[in-house]
Amino acid sequence: MTDSQSEAARSEVVEADTIHSLDASVRNIWRIKGAGLTLLLLLPSLFYDLTHLFDPGSWLPFGVLSGTVLVLGLIYCLAWPRLRYRAWGFALRPEELYTEHGVLNHIRTVVPLRRIQHVDVSQDLIEREFALGRLVVHTAGSRSSDVVVPGLPLGEAERIRDEVKRFILEDPLTEDPV
Amino acid sequence: MSPSASDPDPPDRSGLPETPPSSTDPSSEEASPTTDAPPAHGSPSTLLGAVEEPQRLHPLTLLLRVGASLPALLLLLLPTLQNPSSENLFSVALTVFYGVVALPAIVLQYLRFSYRITPKQIVIQKGVIKRQNRSIPIERVQNVQIERNLVARILGVAKVTIETAGSSATEGSLEYVGLEAAQDIRQVVRSFQHQATDASGAPQSRADEEGSKEILFSMNLVHVLQSGAFRFSLLYIVLVFSGLELLDPEVIIQRVLRSQGRIDQITETMAAHPVLTAIGTVGVAGFFGWISGIVIHLARYYNFSLWLDGNKLRKRHGLFTVTEGTIPLEKVQALVLRTNPLMRLFGWYELKVQTVGMDVNEQGHRVIAPFAQYEDLLALGQRVRSFDLPDTFGRVSPITIRRRFFRYTAVLSAGLLPAVYFWPADWWQLGGAALPWWGFVLVPFILGWAILQYRNHEYAARNDGLYVRRGVTTHRLWVIPVEKFHAFHATATIFQRRLGLKTLHVDTAGAATFAYPEVIDLPAKEADAQLDRLYQRFQTLYQTRIEEATGAPDTRLDADQRLQLPVRDDK
Repeated sequence: MTDSQSEAARSEVVEADTIHSLDASVRNIWRIKGAGLTLLLLLPSLFYDLTHLFDPGSWLPFGVLSGTVLVLGLIYCLAWPRLRYRAWGFALRPEELYTEHGVLNHIRTVVPLRRIQHVDVSQDLIEREFALGRLVVHTAGSRSSDVVVPGLPLGEAERIRDEVKRFILEDPLTEDPV
Repeated sequence: MSPSASDPDPPDRSGLPETPPSSTDPSSEEASPTTDAPPAHGSPSTLLGAVEEPQRLHPLTLLLRVGASLPALLLLLLPTLQNPSSENLFSVALTVFYGVVALPAIVLQYLRFSYRITPKQIVIQKGVIKRQNRSIPIERVQNVQIERNLVARILGVAKVTIETAGSSATEGSLEYVGLEAAQDIRQVVRSFQHQATDASGAPQSRADEEGSKEILFSMNLVHVLQSGAFRFSLLYIVLVFSGLELLDPEVIIQRVLRSQGRIDQITETMAAHPVLTAIGTVGVAGFFGWISGIVIHLARYYNFSLWLDGNKLRKRHGLFTVTEGTIPLEKVQALVLRTNPLMRLFGWYELKVQTVGMDVNEQGHRVIAPFAQYEDLLALGQRVRSFDLPDTFGRVSPITIRRRFFRYTAVLSAGLLPAVYFWPADWWQLGGAALPWWGFVLVPFILGWAILQYRNHEYAARNDGLYVRRGVTTHRLWVIPVEKFHAFHATATIFQRRLGLKTLHVDTAGAATFAYPEVIDLPAKEADAQLDRLYQRFQTLYQTRIEEATGAPDTRLDADQRLQLPVRDDK
């Protein structure tokens, strides 16, 4: 097989790879976390509003503060996870991990597998309820050296981890990763 | 990783009854000289120079350590010394504490510290209460650095630090050993490393080592002074303030009160000629900055010399503290040429290399040539890592001017508008408007600045690497070879997306810094295409390397070998 042929074959393989979205239930995790954050902000603002209810000198009319927090919080809980989910995509390709994400700031990242120092699969309390895991890929890069893929079914995350591990272990080049 | 993994386990280890319980690494503690020697080069000549017997530090270390603790003691005793008649029990107690605890501790520490160097590893044992037993595998040692500050040079001792690739911090430090011992240690470690790498095992003599060095860059006194003259340093401000710390504030206040008349005179004169005062202040500050820049450069880079030793760069420089350093060529991640506007005017640049796994000084960037003409530095850079600087660079999208202009103006307004709003009516007014309004005079300058940034930002993505120029005040040129690419990012903020722009960033290994080789505000399509192209080059390079190494294409990449993820495209 000549070089150009193998080149063509590889790019075909790359083309054939679809970009995967995260597991759909990750939206619920984001909603729950967003709701928690909203509640955390809402309680103090409600407290402020109630304690200044009969204060004529108050520079904010009653309910403005907690109302703003509530509206922003609702948007953050309901609409934001959907947008975030739609923006997220990843693909484990023959030689690289590809991710794209971000609602406001769009970020496209290619991490060559041979640059990966180690891989973790982590799970927090809420993620455990949904049987989802989070893939954390560490590189020796100088900036944003960790690449995180949230909301993968745990089994899938572990399979990706093992695949990356296999790639690194079977690397015929015995050079330092950096 | 335990060093015993590569060590042939001593067979009589289990038979030894007296295993020290405190040792953290028993295998290194007990590995006897004979079992430490690698069987492959078992000839006695290769073991020459090994420091098998545990060695103490130089006795003068005691003196130096006591000396180092004296300033602290003096500070503690300051109240008593200033007022000897008063019975300040606290400082007396401290002195007693120092005599009873600190001094014996220094002696004990000295007695309990030992090091030895075997062909496999450097073993450092230390600790009085908590024993620490550290062994550093020889092949992992990146750098044996010899440092001598002024006192150490007078006493003829040196501090030896051992750095490894594994950690960013210094792994072991011997403070202090005799100068000859220090040079011996470095020599021994180096020769052991040569044995480990050369399978042929020709033991290199010291004369050979010295002979093989080839000076790449050096600076004489005039050159160092010139280099300092092109830089400013604000360090003198720190010096002034730390000088003030030492003085009693009350004394200063008394002085000021006493000379009230003279100070009034000065302030009146200053108020009468504000322009002259401003010019004078700037002039004095600039002069001090200039002088301290020269002094700092002289102290740091006096007698700078850089030479090539096999596949390692070595450098030595310094006036009071002579620093020596080693940079393995394969650890160089990127080259950075840096300059400031004044230096750039005369074509002077500074060359740094981005390294990884070394000490964290200078944020993983090491200066290998502080001051030289552009062409000379390019030639020097070629010796470190061959590259082909393109003749033509590409500019980013001119829309960057617009984005930057709006961005900086927005930041300025965010600062000024609240100030305008809250500005009391009876405060300073100028021409009938509150003073903050006049801040908007800066807007045309912002436009100029944005244009300058655009004109100073260029890039070239070539077959052998990525080249990025950026910066107005501090202008940098990055040379990033393809084989050191690490991760590839194309990002777009919400504002960039509106303008159809993207930022391309190719990450390299190393420590975080102030400036990254980003290509900011490329047209979105071009950024994505460049990202793909750069990654393709990286991929092809490693494909070829694997084929060269194994003689066959990489089978890990075949489609049937790979993990198939469930297709779940429910967007």
